[in-house]
Amino acid sequence: MKTIVVKCLTLFCALLFAHSILAMPTGGDQSTKSYSARGVVEKIAPDLRQVTIHHQAIPGYMMEMTMDFNVKNTNELSGISPKDEITFTLVVGENDEWVESIRRVGHSAGTMTNKMSMPMEMSHGMMMAELKPGDLLPDYALMAEDGQQIHFSDFRGKALAFTFFFTRCPLPDYCPRMNNNFEQTRKILSTDTNAPTNWQFLSISFDPEFDTPDVLLNYADVYRGDNTNRWLFAAASTNVLADVALRLDLMVMRQGDNISHNLRTVVLDPQGRIYKQFDSNQWTPQQLADAIMQAAHLSSQ
Amino acid sequence: MMSSKAGSKRRKQRDDERLFAIVAVIGSLVFGAGFCFLLFVMNKRENNPTDETGYAVANSESRLIPPDHPRQLVNFTLTDRTGRTVTRSDLAGKILVVDFLFTSCSLTCPAVNGQMAQIQQLTTNRADVKLVSLTVDPRDDTPAVLEKYGERFGADTNRWLFLTGEKTMLYDLIGKSFLTQDLNDPFSYMPGNFSHTERIAIVDWHGNLSGYFDGLNQNTATAVVNEIKKMGNQNL
Repeated sequence: MKTIVVKCLTLFCALLFAHSILAMPTGGDQSTKSYSARGVVEKIAPDLRQVTIHHQAIPGYMMEMTMDFNVKNTNELSGISPKDEITFTLVVGENDEWVESIRRVGHSAGTMTNKMSMPMEMSHGMMMAELKPGDLLPDYALMAEDGQQIHFSDFRGKALAFTFFFTRCPLPDYCPRMNNNFEQTRKILSTDTNAPTNWQFLSISFDPEFDTPDVLLNYADVYRGDNTNRWLFAAASTNVLADVALRLDLMVMRQGDNISHNLRTVVLDPQGRIYKQFDSNQWTPQQLADAIMQAAHLSSQ
Repeated sequence: MMSSKAGSKRRKQRDDERLFAIVAVIGSLVFGAGFCFLLFVMNKRENNPTDETGYAVANSESRLIPPDHPRQLVNFTLTDRTGRTVTRSDLAGKILVVDFLFTSCSLTCPAVNGQMAQIQQLTTNRADVKLVSLTVDPRDDTPAVLEKYGERFGADTNRWLFLTGEKTMLYDLIGKSFLTQDLNDPFSYMPGNFSHTERIAIVDWHGNLSGYFDGLNQNTATAVVNEIKKMGNQNL
């Protein structure tokens, strides 16, 4: 009897403990972050509290664009005038962001501004990054199911089909359908004796905190079964995802444990260039198999 | 004698154990039930991340949130779900009730559009009020996809427009006329890094943004309608 009681109590304690872990905020670091950047001054506000900078890409944070930045210390802008090339530090706090450590490094004759000037500003700078067929996908690093870091370039020489998902995805016609389609497509390619053999599948989670290698492996089992040939599961870090999302028009919106997202499935050719993109969930395994076969043949060229 | 004494002692001990066990089981059941309730409440709160105060507070009074700076409806040329081209001048002189969505958004968007559906219902007699839903995912949200989505909410094709088109055009319109971009966490908000995409915006007859209401607050539909009444019924 005693043992049952003890077991009961232990169970509840365990539950309590488990929940306290699950309920812990996952917001992460809330302190300020600083980014070094470079750009050309376009405009300075009369009160010296704002500066418009056409800046180069700020890795891990923002694509190249023209943007208004707040300046906390107005002395920072003394001696700086429009068209000056500057280096600066972008500080991103919890509720605001500003630039500091502004240093003039040269004067632009407007070349950078002219070259990049587009009939759009601000958010639209981000869309300049969207990739089209024939464009090379940057060589991102991912965390694979075995805990090892992999790169897209590891699959050079093969047609690579990749899609995005997260293991807690509750909608059957979203992530599960993508991975089911991958399994169907893999069957088509494996059984077709005329099909090339230089192809690979890659399912990428956009939930790296939850989708650890162990979680990925368990999830992969459901779709891959015992046959792990030519199909790898991995997770993308938030930094990588921020860039990938812009380039592939992938929409990801985290809401607590759930993620609202659209679907992007991409076939790269053996040189790592975009061959074909499948949007949404209406494509068939046969269509994907056809694209992979066509892309795989491009290796000889 | 000895053995019976020992036996009764053992019995008493067994009774004590039984009593302890019963108390412990009941205690842990009560504790467990309370704990489960706590878990339930906490989960309910966690499920509504766009509103840190949780659903309970989202049922509070819905108030007009003023714009951070004066904003005007900029020019645009977009396409509605019937394939019609819609420009700014098509909406000139109307009060606009605007929300933001992408059809694969499964949590906040249906709730916000539920409020939009109520607003549509409550303003059927107001020809000068139009509802506008702007997608941030035009590649997926084609007119056909938006048509299906609109039907889900009983949207009237003439009164509630779902607009799609060039992504640059849409983001320009949203960024200039409605929402601020928050670059702190690209995945906390709707794609495009627009913050507060759960808000429903009101544009007055002159194309000025009056402000926003929290689209996740269940009282927002009524509050929006009251705000529209306050703006008066302009005879066009």
